[in-house]
Amino acid sequence: MQNKRFAILLSIVAVFTMVLSACTMPAPSAAPEVATEAAGAAAPAPAAAIKIGLVTDVGRVNDRSFNQSAWDGVVEVATALGLTEGEGFKYIETQDSKDYADNIQQFVDAEFNVIVTVGFALGEATIKAAQENPDTYFIGVDQFQGESLPNLTGLVFREDQSGFLAGALAAQLNKSGTIAAVLGTDLVPPVVAYGQGYELGAKYINPDITVLTTYHPGEMSQAFVDPEWGAATAKQALDQKADVIFGAGGQTGNGALQEVASAPGAGTELFCIGVDSDQWETLPAAHPCLVSSAMKLITPSVVDLINAYAADGSMAAGNYFGGAGLAPFHDFEDKIPQEIKDKLNEIATGLADGSLTTGYQP
Amino acid sequence: MKVSSLRRIGQMLLIPILAVFSALVVGALVMWIFGDDPLAAYRGLLDGAFGSARAWSTTIRKMTPLILTGLSVAVAFKAGLFNIGASGQFIIGTVCSVAVGVNFGGLPAIIHLPLALLAGIAGGMLWGFIPGALKVFTGAHEVIVTIMLNYVASLFAGWTVYAGGTQGQTPGPLWDAAAGPISRTPEVFLNARIPWIFGDPYRVHWGVVLALAVALLMWWVIFKTTLGFATRTVGANNKAARYAGVNVKWITILTMMIAGGLAGLAGAIETLGLNHRFAPEFTGSAGFDGITVALLGQTNPIGVVLSAFLLGALDAGGARMQFNSGVSADIIQIIQALVLIFVAAPTIIRQIYRIRKPSDQVEATVFSSGWGR
Repeated sequence: MQNKRFAILLSIVAVFTMVLSACTMPAPSAAPEVATEAAGAAAPAPAAAIKIGLVTDVGRVNDRSFNQSAWDGVVEVATALGLTEGEGFKYIETQDSKDYADNIQQFVDAEFNVIVTVGFALGEATIKAAQENPDTYFIGVDQFQGESLPNLTGLVFREDQSGFLAGALAAQLNKSGTIAAVLGTDLVPPVVAYGQGYELGAKYINPDITVLTTYHPGEMSQAFVDPEWGAATAKQALDQKADVIFGAGGQTGNGALQEVASAPGAGTELFCIGVDSDQWETLPAAHPCLVSSAMKLITPSVVDLINAYAADGSMAAGNYFGGAGLAPFHDFEDKIPQEIKDKLNEIATGLADGSLTTGYQP
Repeated sequence: MKVSSLRRIGQMLLIPILAVFSALVVGALVMWIFGDDPLAAYRGLLDGAFGSARAWSTTIRKMTPLILTGLSVAVAFKAGLFNIGASGQFIIGTVCSVAVGVNFGGLPAIIHLPLALLAGIAGGMLWGFIPGALKVFTGAHEVIVTIMLNYVASLFAGWTVYAGGTQGQTPGPLWDAAAGPISRTPEVFLNARIPWIFGDPYRVHWGVVLALAVALLMWWVIFKTTLGFATRTVGANNKAARYAGVNVKWITILTMMIAGGLAGLAGAIETLGLNHRFAPEFTGSAGFDGITVALLGQTNPIGVVLSAFLLGALDAGGARMQFNSGVSADIIQIIQALVLIFVAAPTIIRQIYRIRKPSDQVEATVFSSGWGR
């Protein structure tokens, strides 16, 4: 008897849970619907038809790195166009690299007309989807296009320019006459662009400076996941009197940054510079030395591309070069002299308008 | 007779069904606590797993390797062995089948494909033989050995496709020179690929039929042959089996080899049917999910097929669930883990639902008996 009662009780709880959740949920979702109508009426005609989807690389949409930068861009442009999240724009987080195509397909099935895929690894799946769906506009973040498709933009970056800025910053902070760069493999062109840009930028400020550039000796699957090597290489560079170290190469570079952060004098005589996104957000362990990061400006580039499409349906075929720049100085904002900031601004302006070139030859 | 066998089937199904139900309820609770809508999520899940031809094809695609890795774990259970090594056997099967698939260019499909599949089975069998033999001859526990061999397999596989570095390191033997710095093999020859049943965009290949056939074959071997009887006897009572004249050592080694071969075949089918090449990130979780599949299937080959179908559907529906309801696909892993907990500890289910333990020994009691022997 008691057993039976317990079973009944449990099923009641189970059913109640379902019912309860069913009842509570429609309320919040009703509000946005109203908002959609209001926004839809206010927004310009082409925007009403736009739906923007984003597929992340394996990881989170709030990874404070590429996924988040791209998503921030989508949110910014979609909000400006009066779209609502869930209806007009949404994302899918990829769990397994085998699911790229399936995740892209979700947006195709739901007739989204702009699909942003984030990261080099989604390149093949994105090209295939773009070929199968010629009416859908695809933006592949960090995906260099060898052959161009009319409805696919490879959003790539001038790594040499952000490397150049990092080098210029490093050379101005430098006192010892030696700076260093700890890099992922030179088998990957963007890494070389960072490294060369860094050297060129440093020499632009101080032609006599010594730049110790070291590439990871392994192949792709090791070069970016070897923090021990990064740390050891950074240690060697410190021993050779380098006082600013640029770490560019995933976890390998992070190892270098952390090594500098834990060295005596970090933040006063020794500094480090991160890469790709604002590493102040992604690598707290490097805070003691991290003055800035050489960034790929994904967010504004995504905004520009989608805005262009929203305006007149134009799709930039082939590759689109997004902006490059330095991340904010954060805690070092007050410690960096204004003249250095002015010089960096001058270089950034020069690079942007073409009056200054990095001199990097791919 | 008929009534009792029906009752037996009912009792076998009871725990798995309640386990899945409980996992779904707890999963719903978790979503609800986090402010998500469980009903929308489960609707999305169903839609993504069965809502369209493409959804069905994804479910079938995800299910195929799980049938075989589930069988691998289940067969070992029958002999009282806990095969945690399906993951490594899967990888070795993949590497061996690819090694055949990217070589021997001129062979006709009728020879090349079976050869590549057999290579995968043979590789997996070797990877099962090692822990089996070590257990028999040295007493090393198969759980430890198979776990360790997973690492060996994964590192070995990485080496075979190693792209070399910038300082003249020797690349691995299977590395695709055209891939530049990326560590992966070339695509296998067309003649070594498992043909499609439905090609793009469905991508369902004949491997699923092969996997189902193998499940039937294993059911027959386990329940209808002398070898299967001996295996089950060893699993039920090792000492009694020895007194009855069963060669326990031989059965142990053979069972581990069969288990390894099944997982190796899973790797071969996944590669020759779907990926067409090997890259270290392709390995996936089929090997470890095989443990859940086997336990949920009550180590019965037919049950394994059913539970592989269920887990495949969960995997397949994840993307649509996330798309429709905004619930993170992580919840799928939570549900799968809950299923595993509930089936591995049936006492929990019995306590919750107040089910008496069946007096006749219909349920497999081998789950934990692998230890201490």
